[in-house]
Amino acid sequence: MEFINLVLGSFSLLLSPQILLYVVAGFLIGTIFASIPGLTATLALALLLPLTYSLDVSTALMACASIYMAGMCGGSITATTINIPGAPSSMMTALDGYPMQLQGKGPLALGHAAFGSMVGGALGAILLIVLAPFVAEVALLVKTTGKFSLLAFAIVVIVIAQRGKVVKAGMAACIGLMLATVGLDAMEPMTRFTFGSSELTAGLDLMPMIIGTFAISEILIQAKSNGCAEKMVEALKKVTISRRDFIPPLSEIRKIGIMCYLKSSLIGYAVGTLPGAGGSMGSFLAYAETVRTSDEPETFGKGNPKGIVASESANNAVCGGALVPMLTFGIPGDPVTAIMLGVLVINGIQPGPQLMVGQAELIAPMLASLLFSALILIPLTLYLLGPYFIKIVAIRKDVLYGIIALLAVVGSYVATFSTFQMMMSLIIGILAYYLRKHDFPVITLLLGFILGPNLEEFLRRSLSLSNGNPMTFFTNYDSLFFVILTLVFVYFLAIKKPLKKPF
Amino acid sequence: MLLNKNVVFHFLLFFLSVGYFVIAINLGAPFINNGLQPSSFPLLVGLFAMMFSSILLYREVKLMKSKASSLEDDAQTDNALSGKGRFAPLAVMLSIFLYILLFSPLGYFFSSILFVLSIIIIFSSLEKVLQKIVISTIIVSFGYLVFEQMFGVRLPTLWG
Repeated sequence: MEFINLVLGSFSLLLSPQILLYVVAGFLIGTIFASIPGLTATLALALLLPLTYSLDVSTALMACASIYMAGMCGGSITATTINIPGAPSSMMTALDGYPMQLQGKGPLALGHAAFGSMVGGALGAILLIVLAPFVAEVALLVKTTGKFSLLAFAIVVIVIAQRGKVVKAGMAACIGLMLATVGLDAMEPMTRFTFGSSELTAGLDLMPMIIGTFAISEILIQAKSNGCAEKMVEALKKVTISRRDFIPPLSEIRKIGIMCYLKSSLIGYAVGTLPGAGGSMGSFLAYAETVRTSDEPETFGKGNPKGIVASESANNAVCGGALVPMLTFGIPGDPVTAIMLGVLVINGIQPGPQLMVGQAELIAPMLASLLFSALILIPLTLYLLGPYFIKIVAIRKDVLYGIIALLAVVGSYVATFSTFQMMMSLIIGILAYYLRKHDFPVITLLLGFILGPNLEEFLRRSLSLSNGNPMTFFTNYDSLFFVILTLVFVYFLAIKKPLKKPF
Repeated sequence: MLLNKNVVFHFLLFFLSVGYFVIAINLGAPFINNGLQPSSFPLLVGLFAMMFSSILLYREVKLMKSKASSLEDDAQTDNALSGKGRFAPLAVMLSIFLYILLFSPLGYFFSSILFVLSIIIIFSSLEKVLQKIVISTIIVSFGYLVFEQMFGVRLPTLWG
């Protein structure tokens, strides 16, 4: 209850014009980035990460939360208007959104998407606010061996969640772990893999890792597929949207049914708590469930607003769910929460259960911002800026990538005021580009890098506490719990047959 | 010819994994008095990396052998991309590399204008260069406002 009061009290921070400006600007930037195919909210966060150096942690996290929420709903704009999802999480939205656009109901489809996002985002945030303190208290019971098994569980689940490319995901995670071992050993005064470079003694910085993985590699990918972007801009110029039909009538909301909103949000939230699952899996499962339980399944894929609502409620509820493992265990579940964890680490704050218990005042404003973004900014942005979205999204790509490239490279300089970090960003960016080009999921690389140091530390501590006996991971109940959980997930995600596509 | 770009890439990953594992071996014994040493975790990671990369390499080589036409497919895919599209990523890499080299000696403004201009040209064409120089200058000034004025980041100048 104390934490809930703290979150409610944090809403007063939004009365400060400066903080409100950062939150609103973050939301707009997130929406624009998510709505432009090829750009993502992750890229927006990666570019803005260096700027968080000069903000206080709470304000930076509040802006991150609004970008996250915007990133989940912004993708529905181009998914609906031109059948190209701006973000992967809006893939399922396009199935019914675009047919509605073809029927002349594009604005209404966007209205349904926004309303679904609002309900899903708000429910996800409320569940997070209510449940996170309890999860954090349970997390305090997990000791060293359990922490190792938990981190191993997270990495295994992230890898096997990449269906169809598990080996590639495993390789990318290994590269992340390799990069995490560069520098001074955490327990002994010995350097590893520095090749005599004094600049590598402290290890690789998180900033060039994030900027290289998400920003520079993206510029390189887009440089290769530049022609596609031009075609997209041409398609966008043909679309016109008016404001008057954005608000979905109450009769249609009733027809969709409150259960559709609730069930999809809960599915999204639950999926969000799993490492590596993300918004696309949340919306896919919610859509599949909605089609399965519908009386008229044949109408899906032909412009049924229920499909849009299921997809958007779920992917926005993922935001709340994904923050649970990040805040309570220090395990990011997706790229955005990985960058948010970076904001904490950059500011010298150790994420984990102690953070929620001991420094809740830092976290509460972020959750208030998440709820504010869902309830206020999603509908307001659509209503006020909806008709102009298409013009914004159709911005000249050469100018856009000029801005992104400048922010990315100079952003890497900000961390240490050294060109060495800029060069590291370029090297990591080139590595990530070639990995992405060969269909390797780079999220597992980043999570391997982030979780690697703790994974190694807890492994070594556990074994030194047990005199080198590896059975310690099976004899301690907290560790055994995560070992069993890992096996359960391996069975359901890697061994059992995958779900059939609902369309 | 057995080797194509995919095989070369997967071979490089395998080579990287083996190299990492060999360096990890040279870090010393993994166990001393039942305690894990600095080399133990890298050895474990190296082992997994070698396992994954060898599976991927094996798959790729097998795919090459079973689909002899894939080389043609690859060639067709590459040809489908315009010459500019094919070399654009390399041009971006080179631009960023040169920008980093010139960033301190030339200072933020001059190096950034050249860099942004080069990126804009890579993503468009050499037409209307004057207009693009103006746009680059505006973007760089905007970057200056964001970094130095709004967020207090000290950027290098030509005059130190």
